[in-house]
Amino acid sequence: MEKKSIWKRMKDSREASLVIVLILLCAAVSIKNPAFLSLNNIEEILKNNAVTMILALGMLCVLLIGGIDISIASTLAFTGMSVGLLFKYGYMSSTLLGFVLAMAIGALCGLIIGLVIGKGKVTPIIATMGFMYIYRGMAYVVGNSQWAGADALGDFKNFALESYLGFGLINNVIMITIICYVIFFIVMKWTKFGRNIYAVGSNPEAAEISGIHVARVKIAVYTIMGLLSGLCGALATTVYASAQPDMQTGKEMDVIAACVIGGVSMSGGKGSVAGALLGALMLAVIAKALPLVGIDSLAQNTVKGVLIVAVIILNVITKRAMDKSNLERREM
Amino acid sequence: MAGKSGRTINATPENVWKKQIFSWEGILVIIFIAVIILCKILSPNYTFTNVLREMPKYLSEIFLLFPMAYILLLGEIDISVGSIVCLSATAGCLVSNAGVPFGGVVIVILLTGTICGAINGAILVKFPELPSMIVTLGTQIVFRGIAEIVLGSGGSVSLSNTDGFRMIAKKAGPFPYVFFLVIISAVIFTVISVKMKFGRSLYAIGSNRQTAFYSGIRVKKVIFTAYTVMGLFAGIAALFLTSALYGANTTTGKGFEMDAIAMAVFGGIATTGGKGRLVGGVISAFIIICLRIGLGQINMNSQLILVIIGILLICAVLLPNITGNMKLKKKAN
Repeated sequence: MEKKSIWKRMKDSREASLVIVLILLCAAVSIKNPAFLSLNNIEEILKNNAVTMILALGMLCVLLIGGIDISIASTLAFTGMSVGLLFKYGYMSSTLLGFVLAMAIGALCGLIIGLVIGKGKVTPIIATMGFMYIYRGMAYVVGNSQWAGADALGDFKNFALESYLGFGLINNVIMITIICYVIFFIVMKWTKFGRNIYAVGSNPEAAEISGIHVARVKIAVYTIMGLLSGLCGALATTVYASAQPDMQTGKEMDVIAACVIGGVSMSGGKGSVAGALLGALMLAVIAKALPLVGIDSLAQNTVKGVLIVAVIILNVITKRAMDKSNLERREM
Repeated sequence: MAGKSGRTINATPENVWKKQIFSWEGILVIIFIAVIILCKILSPNYTFTNVLREMPKYLSEIFLLFPMAYILLLGEIDISVGSIVCLSATAGCLVSNAGVPFGGVVIVILLTGTICGAINGAILVKFPELPSMIVTLGTQIVFRGIAEIVLGSGGSVSLSNTDGFRMIAKKAGPFPYVFFLVIISAVIFTVISVKMKFGRSLYAIGSNRQTAFYSGIRVKKVIFTAYTVMGLFAGIAALFLTSALYGANTTTGKGFEMDAIAMAVFGGIATTGGKGRLVGGVISAFIIICLRIGLGQINMNSQLILVIIGILLICAVLLPNITGNMKLKKKAN
């Protein structure tokens, strides 16, 4: 009995099946190309996808409360540009200050979105669509047709090359990603706030009646999303050693795709930190693996899109099969 | 919503929305006039003929508005249309360069769009559990991805034979042909949504899908038709876009879906479905186009124009909600 229940739990668990698929994928690619699982390559994959991985955490929270945020790439560009230009014109030179400022600007952007959605009761997709235009436009306006290149960023760009946060072993950017995941894992699983997010997503009315301030949770979630976007604005600036107003255009779709592949429900209440991580890793591995197994990098987007559609359809089919077998068992 | 506990939740101010909708088209007309007066003050070149001359650039987006309004009325969304425009335009350009006569090119463009739309519709009908947002997100990436593969490393194609496209870009007097087509489609789509069975079933499904199903509306058929029509009109938009650009590249039509949704929402069509009128969408489309042309004439940064449109959009959806809340509070007192 015990064995069966573990097997059943494995079968029901989205994360377990994702891990298996991910391992199979990595194994297949590394047979074809042994360089794939080298430490250098793994570090590069994680570093280049840190932005998607961190944003997936914020998007997880947003999707959990039944919302959506398509303005994150714009917030990212706006904060990245603001910080990049401050470095360029010499108003500041401290890396720490750069990150703090980026997060503050991002949180403010998120707070405004949260107020419009939480207090103004505007549909999330519409509100964030408006702010997608606004923040992207503001990124261009603060830039005033200027951009910050590698030489303008000074010490800031070295942050992505060094590893003092990871005790000389792990790259700074990857370390920040790990810290974010640890914090979110704890917050979502064991704190009141984390459970409130799940409660609001599962049934907002029940949550309201049981004493949760739904509007406040919403505002907090969008503020966190903004804060992470700001953090990623700074990260993207240091990883790519440049800040441009059109940076990371369309990233929001990648992030949503990562969450959905990781089993986060679009209607709220379902999803986990591990799922978001696995979804983001899956996209990252596939993007890196395609050229290695000889598929033209031009086909990358098509494969990604087909994968998203296939995963969600597969999800529905397995759910239908499960419901059916449950029903049959009951009839017996 | 009063349960057994006797508690009521008035989180959804539905009636207030309804009241606002009644006058929303009126407000839009006033905004339209205000925009024209504002642009007239700002720019001396803002004359009727000048505006019409610049209009074809923007008009192709309106074709996306009508079916998008239908899909929003259903309570669904389609964010893949920009990619459908891209794929159709790419297919058209390649076929035209291969020496196919213009009639064939038109058919290829429209057919590509229709097939893409039908794929969206088929997936959504076959798997009704799936949210349309995520399905069309997937197909958005796929359709543009196919265009990327077809276009190869260069990422763009330009027409070698532009005769046919020049012909449809012609004008009758000051009015470009597209303008008439937009007006005709606007009338057809409005009449269907107000008078025909299909149009009314859109509202019924958008308000309550299950009630609609049990009252004998063939929900799946309506949804499939709406998405297929969306694809067809994406094809039409691609046709006229190509006649303005004489080519296609991997970024053709990027962001069109958001523009179309913005126009519809600004026109008072709720994304939750079942509420709003097409007339509002058409008026708001012309407000946005006239504003863009006016601000473009005074050489305003095109990104700043986007900021203004974004703020307008937020205000348009925020204001009715805020005034609605105030009214609710007054009633409670």
